[in-house]
Amino acid sequence: MHRFLRLSVLLMGLFAAVGSYAVDAPQSEPVDPGIEGSAIDKSAKEKSDSGGSALSTWESKYFGLGSEGEDDNVGPAVEQPIEFPHFRHAGDADKGGMEINCMYCHTYARRSLVAGIPPVQKCIGCHQNIESVRDKPRIKKLFEYWDAKKAIPWKKVHDLPDFVRFSHERHVKRFIFQLNRPVQEVCGYCHGEVKTMTVARRQKLLSMGFCVTCHEKDHPVTAEGGTPIGDQAYWYSMRKPLIDASGIIKAKGPNDCSVCHK
Amino acid sequence: MSISTLLENYSEFRHFHPVDDVPHNPYKWAMSIDLDACSGCNACSVACYAENNLPVVGREKYLHGQAMHWMRIERYWDEDGREFPDQGAQFLPMMCQQCEAAPCETVCPVGATNHTPDGINSQIYNRCIGSRYCSANCPYKVRYFNWYDYPTTDNVWPAEMNQQLNPDVTVRGKGVMEKCTFCIQRVTVAKNNAKSEGRLVHDGEVQTACQQACPTSAISFGNLVDPESRVHKQWQVQKVELDKDAQTKDKEEGGSDLRGYRILEELRPYPSVMYLERVRETAI
Amino acid sequence: MNNVFDRRDFLKVLGWGGAAVALSGCGNGSVENGEETVVSYVETNDFMIPSISVYFNSTCAQCDAGCSITGRIREGRVLKVEGNPDSGINRGKTCGLGQAGVQHHYNPDRVREPLLRTGNSGEAITWEKAYALIAEKMNGVSGEEIAFLSGGVSGHLKVLLGNYLDSFGCKNHFVYEAIAPAVVRAANKKSYGVEMPRFNISKAKVVLSFGADFLGAWISPVHFSQQYAQFRKGADGQRGVLVQVESKMTLTGANADRWLVVRPGTEGILALGIINALGSHGVALSGDIAAAVKSYNKDRVSKDTGVSAEQIDKIAALLKTRTPSLVLAGSAAEGYAHGSQNAAAINLLNQVLGNVGKTVEAAEAVPFPQMAPATGNTVALKTLNDGLNAGKYKVLFSYATNPVFTAPGVMKFQDNMAKAGFKVVFSHYMDETAMQADLVLPLDSALEDWGTQVPEYLATCAQINIQQPLMEKLHANTRGMGDILLALIKQRRAEDYKKFDDYYAYLRAAVLQNKGALGGKAIADDDIFWNETLSKGIIKLEGPVKALSSKASVAGLMLPAPVAIDAQYPLQLIPSVNASLRDGRNANQPWLQESPDPLTTIVWDSWVEIHPRKAAELGIVEGDIVEVTSKNGSVKAQAYLFPGIHPDAISIPLGRGHEAMGRYAKGYGVNPFQILDAVFDKETGELALHETRVKVSKTGSRVIVVKDEGPAGGSQMGKKIAARLPSDKVKLSEEI
Repeated sequence: MHRFLRLSVLLMGLFAAVGSYAVDAPQSEPVDPGIEGSAIDKSAKEKSDSGGSALSTWESKYFGLGSEGEDDNVGPAVEQPIEFPHFRHAGDADKGGMEINCMYCHTYARRSLVAGIPPVQKCIGCHQNIESVRDKPRIKKLFEYWDAKKAIPWKKVHDLPDFVRFSHERHVKRFIFQLNRPVQEVCGYCHGEVKTMTVARRQKLLSMGFCVTCHEKDHPVTAEGGTPIGDQAYWYSMRKPLIDASGIIKAKGPNDCSVCHK
Repeated sequence: MSISTLLENYSEFRHFHPVDDVPHNPYKWAMSIDLDACSGCNACSVACYAENNLPVVGREKYLHGQAMHWMRIERYWDEDGREFPDQGAQFLPMMCQQCEAAPCETVCPVGATNHTPDGINSQIYNRCIGSRYCSANCPYKVRYFNWYDYPTTDNVWPAEMNQQLNPDVTVRGKGVMEKCTFCIQRVTVAKNNAKSEGRLVHDGEVQTACQQACPTSAISFGNLVDPESRVHKQWQVQKVELDKDAQTKDKEEGGSDLRGYRILEELRPYPSVMYLERVRETAI
Repeated sequence: MNNVFDRRDFLKVLGWGGAAVALSGCGNGSVENGEETVVSYVETNDFMIPSISVYFNSTCAQCDAGCSITGRIREGRVLKVEGNPDSGINRGKTCGLGQAGVQHHYNPDRVREPLLRTGNSGEAITWEKAYALIAEKMNGVSGEEIAFLSGGVSGHLKVLLGNYLDSFGCKNHFVYEAIAPAVVRAANKKSYGVEMPRFNISKAKVVLSFGADFLGAWISPVHFSQQYAQFRKGADGQRGVLVQVESKMTLTGANADRWLVVRPGTEGILALGIINALGSHGVALSGDIAAAVKSYNKDRVSKDTGVSAEQIDKIAALLKTRTPSLVLAGSAAEGYAHGSQNAAAINLLNQVLGNVGKTVEAAEAVPFPQMAPATGNTVALKTLNDGLNAGKYKVLFSYATNPVFTAPGVMKFQDNMAKAGFKVVFSHYMDETAMQADLVLPLDSALEDWGTQVPEYLATCAQINIQQPLMEKLHANTRGMGDILLALIKQRRAEDYKKFDDYYAYLRAAVLQNKGALGGKAIADDDIFWNETLSKGIIKLEGPVKALSSKASVAGLMLPAPVAIDAQYPLQLIPSVNASLRDGRNANQPWLQESPDPLTTIVWDSWVEIHPRKAAELGIVEGDIVEVTSKNGSVKAQAYLFPGIHPDAISIPLGRGHEAMGRYAKGYGVNPFQILDAVFDKETGELALHETRVKVSKTGSRVIVVKDEGPAGGSQMGKKIAARLPSDKVKLSEEI
């Protein structure tokens, strides 16, 4: 009885805290208004409206978002030094795109926390051989940077609060190499339909709720033709895997706070 | 996690490791500190400042007990009334003991501090509301509260100094509790590398900042589950068991001659740090 | 860590010049206001991956021990230093002082422009103007009229400096270190034939240390700390025993199995007393030694030193049964007018015990004598000070030392310095000496400069340490000391040095010139050898070994009787050397200011250690502001009741009490250097640091001591917190 009582008291606390957290979560706002500045994104705080904290709002807002390809939460239009046409480089061939693999340019994604912006060197590597577009204003601008040996001051589009640790490497390994999903699909889980954009804009919420909806789904650990990575015993012991009718092992993503919060 | 998962699986999130739960697998991070080797030089403490973005609070706030040293060296004197401490002083590196049934975890009203499957008592800064209950309930007094906004209003890291900050560790703002994390950022990197190579973390692959600096190698850190790890062997030889609140060896003949012990074990927090007693020569 | 690459490429790669540095959690930028930029490069190398650290080897410059370090670099910023495991000196370990090296580099109070004195302020000038000014001032000045004061220097910098001074025919290079073991060096030279043999603590079964704080601040503390750990485990399971003899407990004393408090200055007497006791325990003593120690019987020694006769017997018995042992003469023993005699008596004990050649080992020397370290002492300061006082010097240079802060006040160094016509100070900060300069030249930090260093204490082999930039320069207008010297020497010998664009080119050429001798015989390609050398950060060498002389001699050994208590100044002042602040050159690193003194746990301030018995006599309690007065002045500081000190002595730590040097150093604590008596060692002429006599009086005010120690004041309140076992119960050989 005692134990039950304590539990419920604690849960009340949790409700209140998680509830208020949730409202602010999309704007990466912490519970405590005191923590601001360094660790936490300040401007986000200004933006957030601190309206109703009903759990239901939260549930519908975030779990509704889990569905594919919803573009209702488009981030701010960020002005970039060069209006880079993603659709031209990564878009489908029938729409005039080159279908370049995302990781050709964002080359660190498979081995680092960040996907990385290609160095000017990389752009030039191709463009010095593409005479047809040399006189286009954007390309001229690119060569100006190259000649001046200056890095292009690209602005961030997708940004996570500084207290979050997100690893591109883990997700790329998990879904592209282990599960054999197509690259653009996997990147699109979080970045949306970048192949249809010029400069990238944020399409997905990238809030904690957004991450968690995916983490609590049962994903196959290996797919046909996929390479198993890591110790299978690890998945059994840690993630309480399911084995479905067709024999595919499934597991949830990690749900431990310290995995993502640093 | 969604609130519904949290509700459904509440007991899973609020357990007493490893007493009424499955044993840790494949990792349980633990430490052992040899007090006979420790010279009390403070290198560990400074290394911790460097690794974990600890603010220097200054004279005034230190006076008020607001120092933020996650790792501190405690100094004790013999208490037998001799005029001179002719057997030296006793030094004790003290930091979060990463208790298995951590008293701090149960009192957190928002679940900001909880146990990881690796057996580390994690502190989630953005979840913390600064009630300071955890600190009040910690028997070791190793939790430190941000009474001030060190990065901004206090300007602890003025221009250039801020370039030293470790990007793998959050810079904490005002109103947040913090403590030793067993350098979880280093553990995470090691686990990530191991996972990419389809293996477990080797013993010695990850070192905490204090361990790496320690000039006398008094600190060992590793995976208690791994029978090959140095820490596992040390705990085994010293017959210190993680899930006991009184060690069997203490009741055995000669068992108390083994140097391993845990501080305030009788309070049943099941700490993950084993200390090895300091030795003093009898012939002199 | 083992990347082979071209260093210049590395720096070029980082060519986004600081502006785009992504600060962890420090900016308030966001996606919305467009302030947050992505780390982007013009060109990349394979090893530069954002969010993944790269490691480069270099050498720690926080003290002269020469530990090799590995810097962790991310996105072009050095974040932390770790020890380099390949170094025989520190074997991958670092001390707190070394860890704080990044705070020297990122210090907000660094000098950023060359400053020329105009009245009481400094005017920023260009480097061209600064060099032209030096050339102008040096014009027509003879070699005797130039003085160059520096801290310990070694490696190619020393060579270049020597050549520069030679070009004027100048012989006045004064190498000054305020707390160097200079007396012990001289005593070692006499006893063993070399200044700095190797002390192999790990091989010893007993270490008897006379005030050598080898775990704290003595010679090569990180190396000794590791040896100490091995010594405690014992090679064959027999745990090493440490006995420390001193008047004020040091960190090493706090770790001793037996800490013996002696009357200040009687260390030598005790050493001879122990030899005498060894004789009566049946250790064979040669005729002259037996004669020399004859009068040092237990009772007399006990009376002189305050150590009980029974204890002397116990030590002798222990030293006889457990061999080999090691006896160390440290800074507490050498700091007296008879310091040389003390050290000689202590070294004699090593010879009597047959430790020479066993635990006192011959060390290799670096086979390039011109690069061997010029080690500092205080005689150099005295000579310079006398010269300045006599108005001998027209131009004075000062580098890597801060004499205005560390010279005893009675020397009036600051006034004498003013008598030099033109004073150039090379400095990282506006310290007390730089404040007195006519021209201040700002230096690159140790983490952004090139260099080579040869440690004085060569722990395992002869080695040359490489110092290289761990990141791009923080400030555009600072220069490396090597670059400055190169520019200056070009003013004199332009033809000889014109092929070197900068110090890097000079260093590279100098190393490649001796490729064969530096271990590169098998590597044909210069670039590969150079890159490998930089990548390792250490050049290990086979050097000549000079055998130690083990012939014991007692000729000239004369120990004075202990001094009677002076009625006016009844207490001996022991200025203590704290492992992190040392002589005060690192006092502006906030981690060190906030790192508690291990014994008192005091932070951010100075204190006066006083024995509780003496304090009770004087009616002093903790926190009383007391005035400590010597013949040469007084300082006021808080009293701390400390059981580990002789009741007739008090102690004030060195290193604090700066009047300049930036926000973290200025105004914290007091500077005991200022009240030291000018007493010198009779043989070497070194300043006797422990010879100052003082009186203590209460001022009437009281403060709360800012310390880490809780209200229990070092009591465990009956709990098993820091536990202890007697050695006869434990079986270390069965442990892991």
